[in-house]
Amino acid sequence: MIAYIAGWGVLGPGLPDAETAGAILAAEGAYRDGVARAPIAAGLSPNEARRCPATARYALDVGQQALRAAGWDPGEVPTVLASGSGDLEISDKNCRSLAQAAIALSPTLFHNSVHNAAGGYWGIATGSRAATISLSAYDESFAAGLLEALMTLGTARRCLLIAYDLPAPGALAAVRKVPVPFAAALALTSERPAGPVARLSWRWGPQDLEAEAPMAEPALEALRAANPAARSLPLLQALSARQPRTVSWTYPADGALRVAVAFEESR
Amino acid sequence: MGTGLAIHRYTVTSAFGRGLAAHRAGLMSGRSGLSAHALADGSPCAIGRVAGLEDVAMPASLARYDCRNNRLALLALEADGFAESVAAAIRILGAGGVGVVVGTSTSGIGATEAAYRAPAFAERGALAADFPYRETHNVFSCGDFCRRYLGAKGPALVVSTACSSSAKAFGVAARLIASGTCRAVVVGGVDSLCDTTLYGFHSLGLLSPTGPRPFSADRDGIAIGEAGGFALVGPADVFGARGGLYLAGVGDSADAYHMTAPHPEARGACAAIAAALGGAGWRPEDVDYVHLHGTGTLHNDAAEDLGLAHMGLAAAPASSTKGAVGHTLGAAGICGAALVGLAMDAGYLPGTANTGARDPSFHSNLLLSGRPGAIRRALVNTFGFGGSNCTLALEWRP
Repeated sequence: MIAYIAGWGVLGPGLPDAETAGAILAAEGAYRDGVARAPIAAGLSPNEARRCPATARYALDVGQQALRAAGWDPGEVPTVLASGSGDLEISDKNCRSLAQAAIALSPTLFHNSVHNAAGGYWGIATGSRAATISLSAYDESFAAGLLEALMTLGTARRCLLIAYDLPAPGALAAVRKVPVPFAAALALTSERPAGPVARLSWRWGPQDLEAEAPMAEPALEALRAANPAARSLPLLQALSARQPRTVSWTYPADGALRVAVAFEESR
Repeated sequence: MGTGLAIHRYTVTSAFGRGLAAHRAGLMSGRSGLSAHALADGSPCAIGRVAGLEDVAMPASLARYDCRNNRLALLALEADGFAESVAAAIRILGAGGVGVVVGTSTSGIGATEAAYRAPAFAERGALAADFPYRETHNVFSCGDFCRRYLGAKGPALVVSTACSSSAKAFGVAARLIASGTCRAVVVGGVDSLCDTTLYGFHSLGLLSPTGPRPFSADRDGIAIGEAGGFALVGPADVFGARGGLYLAGVGDSADAYHMTAPHPEARGACAAIAAALGGAGWRPEDVDYVHLHGTGTLHNDAAEDLGLAHMGLAAAPASSTKGAVGHTLGAAGICGAALVGLAMDAGYLPGTANTGARDPSFHSNLLLSGRPGAIRRALVNTFGFGGSNCTLALEWRP
């Protein structure tokens, strides 16, 4: 099955946005680690912006990058949000409140604790009432989200995939090791956009000896392994370098999602 | 989207008991399975508790997955021979042909709540490195447990969109099958009682002190229930064509309005209902019954009533089962689907347990008491936090 990439977004250490990241990922040895810039959550009212948690900010930032690149109005675009762990800062605060003798849970922290909080803020920020889903497959959440987004194109013309995970706070850091924040977004369409474009052919199949493609550079491979959303890096690098290749993601069960990336000129 | 997928087997476990027979009896009795409960500060509320979870023994190989939510999943999978039906499907289709998509809102966060209260946490200021976060608290834990327990090796994922989680899981299943990725999918919904939701809804002033009275004028909040339910879905011909319950459409939408309050004109709810009707190819007058989200809060019920009226469904017989089993949050979609399947099978229109009279300002054709009546086409509404909506269109084929 075929899909086209109309735009993408990224935010992580050393990769502040798709344009900068595109140049870094295309050039061998250009990546430098660093602190991720603060995410921008555009489109929220001051009240909503005050309540919006960090996870949702990352999601909004990369999602809006991808839509700007695609030139799409968000109103009609279904969204798939993939996160391995959701917002552990909020879990931590809520569980601390629940451990007190006199329990007083914050109503805002409670409603922000749902896994689909980022999806909710996306709708509020963009006004989109299109279909939206939030999912997790632990460390394979990016592949699960990509699979769901590609399948969504069976009936929808367009789909926006947003993947994000943030580091766990101290109390949970030993049990959920996500040392750095990372988010990525792909604007996918079943209709070929005008101009040069990346075309994806995908299939789900049994695992074989084809291992998950790591990043050639150790620093980028370390980043890929450090965050479930950074499992997108091999695909983002292929897009940046305009390098035809097959990227595969092994999956928690015994399957694999395989995506062949090809590049087509204008037509 | 149009699906026409057969729901070959289904099961549900809730405050009504384990399996379909207990739910058929509960549904037709008109009684409530809820019980009185008090929070730590003495605030009264009602809960729907599943009996016997304390006695569930996890398989030794999955011992790290031990938590209330996964115990509930196990109990539900073993009801009505459901796990055995999945095993039979795997024998026919191969393990790789069977996917697992489970909806949950809080997964096993109860395990982390308990660990934070333990003296060891206060001393260390952190969870011990061997705490089974991945297997209990993490959102995916429930789906991971189910796929391992069942031995299914197709794609596995967890949908977590608050109270619409397991309804949206049906949509993923339909796409897995339509794309040829899977030949059958185990769709589930599991949500168990935990302090995050009890005290969270309390903090929002949404827990009824006595129990929910959906669509009544004096409604004052919800009761949280726990439940687990599963359905084995696939194309009609995979296990041989047969009559019974079918998924005719899934309507998915967002409110784009507020994190907890529904859109005052019910635009998101209308979009979900319209998409479900469109996917099934039905007109509003084709609908024989609406299983309401009907949680019993002031604003949600008003928005849902308005949505039904906007969509031309004010005349359709409708009822809420939240007064019977509670609001089962992420499991609400699968519970609704199973209860509608039972009602279709029994030729029975369920009533609204706990509600004495309909809010006089409402327009819906609310069924207060159950009565015999055929249901061929039904909708199941689910609306969640984050403005996350999903309506299922279910059809009974002779």
